[in-house]
Amino acid sequence: MKVFNKKGFVALAAIALLAAACGGSTSGKTLTIGISLPLSGSALASAGPAQKGAELAVKDATVDGYTLVVKVLDHAVNGAHNPAQAAADMTTLVGDETVVAVVGPFNSGSAKAQIPVSSEAGLLQCSPSNTNPDLTKGDAGATLRGGRPVNYIRVATTDDIQGPAVAAYAFAQGKKAVYVVDDTEVYGKGIADAFAAKFADLGGTVLGRDAADPKTTDFTAIVAKAAAAKPDSVFYGGVTSSGAGLFRKAMIQAGLNVPLYGGDGIQDGNGEGSYIAIAGDAAMDSFSSVAAIHDIPAAADFAAKYKAAYGEDPGSYSASGYACAQVIIEAIKVAAKAGAVTREGVRDAAVKAGVTYSTVLGDLGFDENGDTTQKVISLYKVEGGDWVFDSQIDYAQQ
Amino acid sequence: MSRLTSRLPAPLARLAARLTTHFTSHRSQGIFFAIVALGILLPILSRVPPFGALQSINAWTNAFTIAVIYSILAIGLNVVIGFAGLLDLGYAAFFALGGYTYALVASPFLNIHLPFWPVLIIGAIIGAIFGVLLGAPTLRLRGDYLAIVTLGFGEIVPITLLNADKFTAGTIGIGGIDKPNIPGLYNFDLTNPWPFYILVLAMLAIVVIVVYRLEDSKIGRAWEAIREDELAAESSGINTTISKLQAFAVGAAIAGFIGVFNAAKLTIVAPDMFGFVVSVSTLSAVVLGGMGNVVGVGIGAFVIYLIQSVFLKQLSILFTQLSIPILKDIDFLQFQYVLYGAALVIMMLRRPQGIFPARRRHRTFTDATGNSK
Amino acid sequence: MAEKAGVVSVRTERAPSRLLLPLVVVAFLAAMLAWLGLTQFLNALTLGAVYALIALGYTMVYGIIELINFAHGDVFMVGTFVSMFVSGTLLKEKNGIEDISALVFGLVLVFVITIAVMAVIGALIERFAYRPLRKAPKLAPLITAIGVSFILQNAVQYFFGPLTYNVPQIFPVTWAFMVGETRVPLLNLFVISVAAVLMFVLQLFISRTRTGRAMRTTAMDRDASSLMGVDINRTIMITFLIGSGLAGAAGVIHGLYYGNTNFTIGFASGLKAFTAAVLGGIGNTAGAALGGFLIAFVEVGAVVLGFSRWGGAVVFSLLVIFLVFRPTGLLGSSTGDRA
Repeated sequence: MKVFNKKGFVALAAIALLAAACGGSTSGKTLTIGISLPLSGSALASAGPAQKGAELAVKDATVDGYTLVVKVLDHAVNGAHNPAQAAADMTTLVGDETVVAVVGPFNSGSAKAQIPVSSEAGLLQCSPSNTNPDLTKGDAGATLRGGRPVNYIRVATTDDIQGPAVAAYAFAQGKKAVYVVDDTEVYGKGIADAFAAKFADLGGTVLGRDAADPKTTDFTAIVAKAAAAKPDSVFYGGVTSSGAGLFRKAMIQAGLNVPLYGGDGIQDGNGEGSYIAIAGDAAMDSFSSVAAIHDIPAAADFAAKYKAAYGEDPGSYSASGYACAQVIIEAIKVAAKAGAVTREGVRDAAVKAGVTYSTVLGDLGFDENGDTTQKVISLYKVEGGDWVFDSQIDYAQQ
Repeated sequence: MSRLTSRLPAPLARLAARLTTHFTSHRSQGIFFAIVALGILLPILSRVPPFGALQSINAWTNAFTIAVIYSILAIGLNVVIGFAGLLDLGYAAFFALGGYTYALVASPFLNIHLPFWPVLIIGAIIGAIFGVLLGAPTLRLRGDYLAIVTLGFGEIVPITLLNADKFTAGTIGIGGIDKPNIPGLYNFDLTNPWPFYILVLAMLAIVVIVVYRLEDSKIGRAWEAIREDELAAESSGINTTISKLQAFAVGAAIAGFIGVFNAAKLTIVAPDMFGFVVSVSTLSAVVLGGMGNVVGVGIGAFVIYLIQSVFLKQLSILFTQLSIPILKDIDFLQFQYVLYGAALVIMMLRRPQGIFPARRRHRTFTDATGNSK
Repeated sequence: MAEKAGVVSVRTERAPSRLLLPLVVVAFLAAMLAWLGLTQFLNALTLGAVYALIALGYTMVYGIIELINFAHGDVFMVGTFVSMFVSGTLLKEKNGIEDISALVFGLVLVFVITIAVMAVIGALIERFAYRPLRKAPKLAPLITAIGVSFILQNAVQYFFGPLTYNVPQIFPVTWAFMVGETRVPLLNLFVISVAAVLMFVLQLFISRTRTGRAMRTTAMDRDASSLMGVDINRTIMITFLIGSGLAGAAGVIHGLYYGNTNFTIGFASGLKAFTAAVLGGIGNTAGAALGGFLIAFVEVGAVVLGFSRWGGAVVFSLLVIFLVFRPTGLLGSSTGDRA
């Protein structure tokens, strides 16, 4: 078959040469901790700190007789997290026999894609930020892991707690009539549903519901529709990269001067590209939650260590990424003591009932679904161009 | 080939010559053996430095499996673009339809669990049906308008899958999709990439053989005639509408066919897996590989996937780990689309016929004087 | 060339349509105003102005070289960044300049510089990416355009970053007057007027000037025009200059009105603007403008009816339906036989 010609081969050889330029090898008794997060484009701003936190924890730790290394895979495609790439990356990690646990993913949509793969391999996975309840709880959770033992754990509190917590917060501030908008994604729609249900339960009115896909840049029509309903507050279920800041800006520009409530998806500090930066002056009167503890023990120590390593302050999920890696490393140590470190060994050690881990987030363990026992929701409001901590509620106590 | 054989010792040269003659006349066998050889060679190659250092053999096998999925997709699109000269910019929609077909009938979502093998065929048929439904009213139009309609279709399908959440689980996508199994013999599992690898190669062999046979058939010659000069084709008695519909249906069927496998391999389908980017990457693979050349587009898609999802990703990580100054600060991932874009532009300007040009493709990429552009 | 290519002007051969068209447009607008109410009506017109300005570039380029210029949406995106650079970095302007003379100076500067820069970038793209392929088959420049689109997106991502950035809204968003109960922001009226003026000037340019005539004849028959002494390369380059300049103007408007930009906005806006060009009858400038507004009304209407999630699907379904049943679009008919 003379289908090839010389030039074709030259081109192919050039590609091979490019690949050859990246030689290098590792050796020794290596255990790899995979980090699977969206790390390019607009996803980097929120997921990058989690990656750095996790890497810092691995750098800080030693396990006798083993070398710990990380393997970072970015599943952002075109600047946004991509579930298909997340699933493909998980199969890559599963296929690498030195990988014993994974930190990630960041977004609930990607978790939906990864859990079926990782559970089949018995590979422990710890998400620093996933909050969608269906990932772990009830029939949905069991289906997702195919009825296999729990291998997916998370250090963030779930949206069935977070959404209602924001609803209670808004209601306590005297809000009675809310307009709810979501970004059509797993996280955004989920938290908006949970918020709306609780708000109605409390005796408030949900005046209307709208959705705008994450690519939306023109919110004027939705805002005008919301304004016509005359709400005293608005809830946005979604993340900054889906347009939370643009939505807020459009609200104020159209004269809809009522408070905006949101979940942790809009609490991303005040740096470039954050909700506050995009909304600008319009960000005033915004309230949000974070599905994690605010008053972390030794916060100053952690911030100093983080700054020394990266030259910047920790982001919203730096400590969560760090905590995930800490739990994984502890589980590896338990498995190492019991004999050889296997995936199943690490997984079983991590989700073992009644075990408490002392992490940077404080003491926490995991319930029978893999959800953290530390069920704290922190509430924030915008003041002076930054998120200011308002209060935190411990739902584990209630 | 002849220059190669002349350097071999006489008995070997005779053998090579006999094999060449044999496989020229028994092309399907040739394809079969070529793919078997490729299937054995790739894993071996992945152990050779520098490839071996990049990732483990299982990870490579996984990457190869997905790369072959894109090869098959490109070969399917090549039937539409390369053979019949019809521009389809929404090809990912058919890929999605195949995937969702399998997801609906083999997952906990509707709690139906049909076996994988018949659904492969059903997926292909559904792809073909939608291909005909879309093609029948639009193929009477020519060229760019067909491109636009397919582009619109390619946008509508993911939006519908996203919003018809009662039937498709919406943005979450349908997860926990059944893996293939051979009843009583073997159950596929995700920790072992090899069965998937062998299966996808088998599917590649089937698709390549079918496509080659079609190319050499009466249908294929009709496509070629239409591509080169539609008016002339029509005047020589070819029913161009039927012929174009056939090409469209065959391309859509191949996408549906491999879409089923893709769903089973990833165990999830979600609307954003089938966006415009997939259609464009496949189109680019067809163009870079050499439109009309089945082997060329297959290799094109394979290499592009590996460069995108293995080399560029690893390159960034590697330079960071080795702390090579300057290089470690360059985020190669961010550059992947620049490289991709530059490759497309340069290729069109310098070598529009692709890396591996098709033998029979003359007029499309030559100017009136017959010079290759 | 047996087939007639796209015409870059309103058809003149059928007189009744010249009278009928404005009537239909006015009736449509009145119906929309009655249904949507003033606020949503203005929202739709503003969004439509952006789509229309981008659509003009698609339709002019298609009319003259039959290329679906996939990079055009990204030219618009680059325009938003240039306008951000001019008003933010060069002029160091913040939101809302209350002083009239300073505002006029700022606006003129932002529009002029952005339009000029984008016109040059558009012409450069034409010169280096498309001109060498003038005689190549249609597929070649189409694929080059996709490549250029990737390059533009990533160049912006490299120079400005991957995040969403604020564009200074130098026209005060607080300026408004009341019509009954409804607040009418001056910004909307300003943006719509700018777009209207630009489109009017473009129509005059195409119908009245020598270069405009050259563009029309080149669109009809390139070889014959060339024989008549029209400099084809120059004419095509001017088409790109104008189309890209208008996309730049759309970029400025987008910045003024929405106050933000991101390197990925080009694709979605471009695709919708392209749909607008097709709806209006590709190759027909007046049609493209109409199509832009029509799509904006469809989108806003979808929100009002509670189908905000289906907006995109409705727009693209309209595209498919139009192409199947009326491939010539609303106004154009000359491309039908070739299409």
